[in-house]
This record gives sequence, C-alpha cells and structure tokens, in this order.
Amino acid sequence: MEIELLEKRINIWYLSSLIISIIVAIPVVVISSSFFENTSEYSIILRETFLLDYIFNSLILLIGVLSLTSVIGIGCAYLISFYDFTGANFFKWALILSFAIPAYIYSYSLSAFFENYGTAYSILRGIFGEGNHNLYIPKLDGMLGAIIAISFSIFGYVYVLTRVSFHYQSQNLIDLGKNLGFSKKKTFLKIILPAARPSIVAGLSLVAMETLSDFGSVSFFGVSTLTTGIYNAWIAFDDLTLANRLSFYLLIFIFGLLILENISRQKAQYHSPSKDSLKTKNKIKLYGYKSAFAFIFCFLVFFISFIFPVVQMGYWTYLFPKYLFELNLINLLSNTLILVFFSCSLLIAFGILSNYGNRITKSKFLQILTTFSISGYAMPGIILAVAYITFISYLDENLLQLKNYNIKSLFIGSIFGLILVYFIRFYSLANNGIKAGYLKINYSIDESAYLLGYSKIKTFNKIHLPYLKNSIFLVIILLSIEIVKELPITLIMRPFNFDTFATTAYAYASQDLLEAAAAPAIMLILISSAFILITSKLILKDQQ
Amino acid sequence: MKKLLVIYCFLYFFANSIFANEVNVFTSRHYDSDVQLYEKFTSITGIKVNVISGEDAALEKRMIEEGNDSKADLYITADAGRLGLFDKKDMFQNSISTIIKSKVPENFRSENWTAIAKRARIIFYAKERVSKDEIKNLRYEDLSKPNWKNRITIRQSNSVYNQSLVASLISNNGIVKTEEWVKGFVNNFARDPQDNDRAQILAVASGEADITIANTYYYALMLSGQKGKDQQEAAKKVTPFFPNQNDRGTHMNVSGAGVLKTSKNSENAIKLIEFLLTKESQEHIINNTFEYPIIENIEPNELIKNSNLGNNFRQDLETPVKEYSIYQAEALKLMLKAGWK
Repeated sequence: MEIELLEKRINIWYLSSLIISIIVAIPVVVISSSFFENTSEYSIILRETFLLDYIFNSLILLIGVLSLTSVIGIGCAYLISFYDFTGANFFKWALILSFAIPAYIYSYSLSAFFENYGTAYSILRGIFGEGNHNLYIPKLDGMLGAIIAISFSIFGYVYVLTRVSFHYQSQNLIDLGKNLGFSKKKTFLKIILPAARPSIVAGLSLVAMETLSDFGSVSFFGVSTLTTGIYNAWIAFDDLTLANRLSFYLLIFIFGLLILENISRQKAQYHSPSKDSLKTKNKIKLYGYKSAFAFIFCFLVFFISFIFPVVQMGYWTYLFPKYLFELNLINLLSNTLILVFFSCSLLIAFGILSNYGNRITKSKFLQILTTFSISGYAMPGIILAVAYITFISYLDENLLQLKNYNIKSLFIGSIFGLILVYFIRFYSLANNGIKAGYLKINYSIDESAYLLGYSKIKTFNKIHLPYLKNSIFLVIILLSIEIVKELPITLIMRPFNFDTFATTAYAYASQDLLEAAAAPAIMLILISSAFILITSKLILKDQQ
Repeated sequence: MKKLLVIYCFLYFFANSIFANEVNVFTSRHYDSDVQLYEKFTSITGIKVNVISGEDAALEKRMIEEGNDSKADLYITADAGRLGLFDKKDMFQNSISTIIKSKVPENFRSENWTAIAKRARIIFYAKERVSKDEIKNLRYEDLSKPNWKNRITIRQSNSVYNQSLVASLISNNGIVKTEEWVKGFVNNFARDPQDNDRAQILAVASGEADITIANTYYYALMLSGQKGKDQQEAAKKVTPFFPNQNDRGTHMNVSGAGVLKTSKNSENAIKLIEFLLTKESQEHIINNTFEYPIIENIEPNELIKNSNLGNNFRQDLETPVKEYSIYQAEALKLMLKAGWK
C-alpha cells in the first residue's frame, strides 16, 4: 500500500518538476556558498565608505522606477481598457512596442540627446545659431537619467499585465460602483484598482527585479547602487565571494518584498471573472478635452518610450550608413533566431510540464521549490552566468572527474550552454506566465475529464491547451524579446565568433562609438517589434 | 537528409571549431580594426583566428574556471593592471620571444605578457579659464592644490584607467603621500564623477569644469569628426596638455596580450602577437584607434600630429606598467576613502 502511494507521488511529473527546480536553483546555491568563504578587506572598506550610499541609491532608484512605471503603466492601461478616444485602438498595441527597446539602448539615446554638444545642442544650434546652448539643456543624467531609462524601457510589464486584468474585469463590477453612487475616481480607486492588484503587483515585481539587478543603465549614468558594489568587489578587488554575498542579500531583499506582498494579499479576496461577463463591458466614449487628454497622455508615453530612441538611433544610422552595410545581417539574424527558437521551445515545454506536474501531484514542496526559480531573474545576469560557470567547473573537477568526456566545453562556450543559462534566467517568466493561465482553469474540469475516461495527455491536449493558448502566446513574445535583448549572459557564455545584434551594439558602445551601435540597435528593435506585432495581433484577436 | 540535419545541428551546438590550424583569442578590445588585423593575419599565415570579446573580468573568470579544458590561447585586454593581476593567478606562460623583446621596451612588458599599443592619460583644459602660469610645468601631483577647487572633472573611481593612474602615483610617491593627494584632488571636483572620458572633455568645453584628465584617443575621436560636427568644434575649445614633462613623464597605460598557460596553440598565439607588432599592424592600430604605437619609428596619424598629440612628449618610462597591478586595489581603496564616487 505504502509503495503504491510512493509510486503515485514520485511519478514522472514529480521527477521532472524536481529536476527543473534543481537546475534553476544552481545560481542561488552557488552564491549562498559564498558564506563559507572569506572575503577581502573590501567588505570593511565598503562598510566604512559607500555601502549606505549604495543602498540608499538602490532604494531611490527602485522607488523612482516603481512610481513612474505605475503611473504610466496603469494610467495607459486604464484609459485604453475603459475609454474610447481618438487613437485608443492604435495605442492598445503601440504601447507594447516599448518592450523592443532594451534599457541600455534607451540609455545611449538619452545620453546622446541631452549630453553637452549632443543632439539637443545640434537642434538648438540649427534653430538659434551659435552659442553655448548647453546651459539650457536639462542634464538628464545621473539618477534622473537612470530612472527614466529603466522606467520607459520596462513599464510595458505593468501596462500589459494590468490591461489584461482590466480587460477581464466584468461590467458588473463597474456597475456596482455606479449603483453605490461612486464617482468614476472612487470606482477606480475602490473597486477597479484593488481587483487588478494581483496583476499590477506581478508587473511591478518584474520591474523591481529588473531595476535592482540592472547594471548597464546605472553604470552608464554613473549612479552607484548595490550592483556597483557587487561589480567593484568582483572586478576591482577580485573578491567574487563578496560579490556573491551582496547578490544574495539583494535576493533576500526581493524575496522579502514578494513575501510581504503575498501576506497582505492573502487578507483580500479576489473576484474571478465568470466567462459570460467578459463580453458585456461597454467602453465610455470620451469627447473634447477629455479625449484630448487621454490621447496626449498615451501619445507622450508612446513617443518617449519608443519614437524617441528609435529616431535617435535612426538618425545616426542615416548619418553613418556604413555601419549598417558592414553588419553581417544574415549571420546576426540567424544566430539571434536560433537562440530565440530553442530557448523559447525549451522554456515553454518545461514551463508547461512543471505546471502540469504541480497540478497533478498537488505537492506543496514542489510549489515552494518553483517559487525559488524567480531568483534567476532577480540577480544581475553576469553574476548568474558566473555562478553557472563556477558550478560546472566544480561539478567537473570534484564530482564527475570523467576523463574521457569534456563536460566543461559541452556546458561552457557552446550554444547549448548559452541556452541553458537563458533557461535559468528566464524560467520564472515562462513558469509564472503559464501558471497565470492555469489558475483560470478550475480543478473540477480535470476531474470531469478523468471521469469521462480522458488520459492525462488527452486532458492536457483537449482541455488545458485551448485555455492556455493566450498565456503561452504572451509568454512567447516576452521571452523572445528578452532573449533578443539579452546582453551580459550572451557576452560571457557565447562560443567563438558568435555575435548577436545585442553583442554587436555593445561592442561599438564600449568603444564610445554610439553612432555605430545605432545600426545593430535599430535591427534589434526591428526584430523585437516584429515579434510584438505578429503575436500581439493574435492575442488581441483572441480577446475580442 | 534527416541524418545530415542532425549532424549539422550537433556540430552547430557542441563543436566550437573543427579547424586544426587556429588560434583562439579572448579579448576585451572590441575594435573592428582588430578584427581586420586578425583577418589579415589569417590571409598571410593560413591560421584561423577565433574570437570571443567581452568584459575583461568576465572573460578572465571564464578562462580560470575552464582551466585545462579552456580553448583560449591568447588574452588581450586594455589595462596593464588587469594583465598583471591575471598573470599573478598563474594564467600566462612565458611567451616573450626574442622578436617581442627586441621590439617592446622593457617597462611595457613583463615575463609573460607584452604591450601591443600604448595609451596616454593626459590633461585637457579650457584656455580662457586656466592661466598660463597655472598650466606651466603642471604635474598630476599639482591637481590636489587649492587653486583647482571646484574646477576639476573626472570619471568615477571604478574606471580602471583612474585606478592605474593612482597606482602609478603610489608607485612613485608612496601610499601616504598619494592618500593626501587623492583627498585634495577629490576636494577640487567641480561635479560628481560620471560618464566616460569624452564626456569629461565636453564638460570642460561647455564650462562645467576647467580641467580634466582623460585618455587622448577620446579626444582624437571627437576631432576626427566621427562624433559629429558639434563635438568636433567642442574638442577644439579644449587644449591637451602633457603633464610631468620635467620629471618622470606622462602616465602611460597599455593594451597588451599574453599566451595562456593551457594554450594548445601557443606557437600560433606567439605568431599573432609578433604580427601585431609589425610596422603595418602598428600603423593600422594607431590610425584606427588613435592609440600610440609600441614599436619605434612609426609616424603618428596626421590628425594626432596636427593636434599636438604627437609622439614628441616625455612618456613615463621609469614606472614599469606591470607595477600597476600591485597597487590598483590599494589605489581604489584610497579613492573610495577620499569619497571619489
């Protein structure tokens, strides 16, 4: 009897979920092992000098980015979901295009435009003639620059997730507000916003993780945050142990935030929409200045987040077309697409497998284990890649010691290894995206299917998959774009002579040739935009 | 057909290269002109050059962890301190051939690595705001004096070029004096350190600061017009100045290369270094990156010559660049303690 129970629990689903969780947990295990090693004197110097500054800056950055992304993300989602105004149908998908711009390319654009003798200066000189116009150009650098660059390149998470949630809010909920005599503002604050809270928080937590682990933008703008401490520890003081410890503290902080949110959320009950309530929502038509305001708000966000960097990069590509012609387009494109295809397939397949496994086994242990998968997304990419390399090396030298098999060259510096690290990095994105889809499918449906004699596979194919289709599409766009944009992991893990648009842009930027970086950057933006346009149509169609 | 596809996929995923006559380069230099040189090398010798470029510390970590299994043959990076630090970890082999010895001056190489190009970290100032007396015979050491209060701009302390500069000051003046110097110097900052060297020069041009320290090639890049007409004009508003001309000379740093201990193609790697030290290669490097040549009798680029950045200044030949690695961490410690962001 007991063996039967054991067999029932430890089946293929259980095992595969377990294996994925273990793989994804590699970096956390490696960085937490730093607590058993000694650190250099930098830990003391850091404490005596800039540690508080770094923490303070990280917090200011976090608060700044969360505030700005909330305002623009929720604002746009609200206007577009509940109102009908000029351009609303256009902005619905156009605002997603901001996903195509990586924060580092946004930073290049912002800095190139506002720097001394930058593009803004050239424009002013063109209009007013010679003169020291630099004095009148706002310096969008430092903390302000970093907040703007990060916010406008990742507010899309908040926008997309909030919009989906608003979209599924039933008309009944809005009518309830009306019947209670609430003003529109009160209805929004007291009913609509709280009901969308889980989605908003999901978007904001992605934003928070990206912000805290960002290094590209903050170093570009010279803002010293905790990641600066991590880099200094590792690069200048050659103290990877301390770098790992600091990353670990960063993780703990993020987990702390998530747990706090979870606890406070459990007190509230959430309305889950019934299917027939979906179609009945009427959008309120806006006229006059109200329509103009909604238009201007969305247009500004679209302009600042997408048009501005694209025009800056396009302007350079136009000025220096030779950099575009020098690009090995076919090679870069095929490298990028291969990474996208294999990583997405792997992530989606295992994301489904793990979610399905969790659903069947209903194991609390597995569920807790998979929550840790978020760590891949919450630590700086480079630290994750280095943790992975350290792990493989340790595995090869201490545990396996296989003389005839070269484990290292299989896992480090190969496309396979690169995809594996992407897998660790983005697994939480795939897993949580699919989980969100699964939450909408009631358990009783599964049981009815089994009663009808459906096998597990058939239940999945015939019943789960159609429900999950939307979530899977959304996850595929997000993953594809993340992979096209990904930089630090690709740089360190790639094989010889292997370039992507992101690494090519980086190579030019690191020689201070942002003009040259513009050509690969524009291509990168084009590809990401194409992914967005193709898939967003599918998604929007399905929703209507 | 299917089998072929499977084989192709396998090769694509797992085999890095199947060429026998090759050399594998890890480099933190991302110049297109370097790649052109590698291609030229291949066309002359038939040796294929495979490249991975990236950030220095990350590349180093990868080579260290790959250990004996590493495919890397040659490591090229742009700071003497980093080369020295990597050497200290016993990662290089002695690859300094007689050809290399005959071409590269002793203080620009160690037992195990050699410079392939030089960089000068010099002063740039605004003529109308810095008097002749102030600039005359100026030394790095003078920039801590009170007359420069609120007039200096420079990039952050995590810039390895700044760390090497301060390391060279420690090597010459000792820790105690350098600590004093850093305190005074930081006290003279006109703004919080930020951005790269070019932005510092632009800040002097626009009047945000009077004087800065930056590598010459950033200035040359602006003068060349590659950064647009406005920045070309801005660069002309700023004057370059070589400090310490009456004593040890201007602080020099290098781009350098070393052959890995675990290299399987060390002969090819040495050949590649030697190729980079030929007259043609050196000319190619200085004309594209605006660095200084490491071998003698190379005419500077026209642009460099015309903008008073030519070869005829006193370079610091007394401080061996390999010493930077000894003092770099100490240097950063002093900088951080003095509040250099």
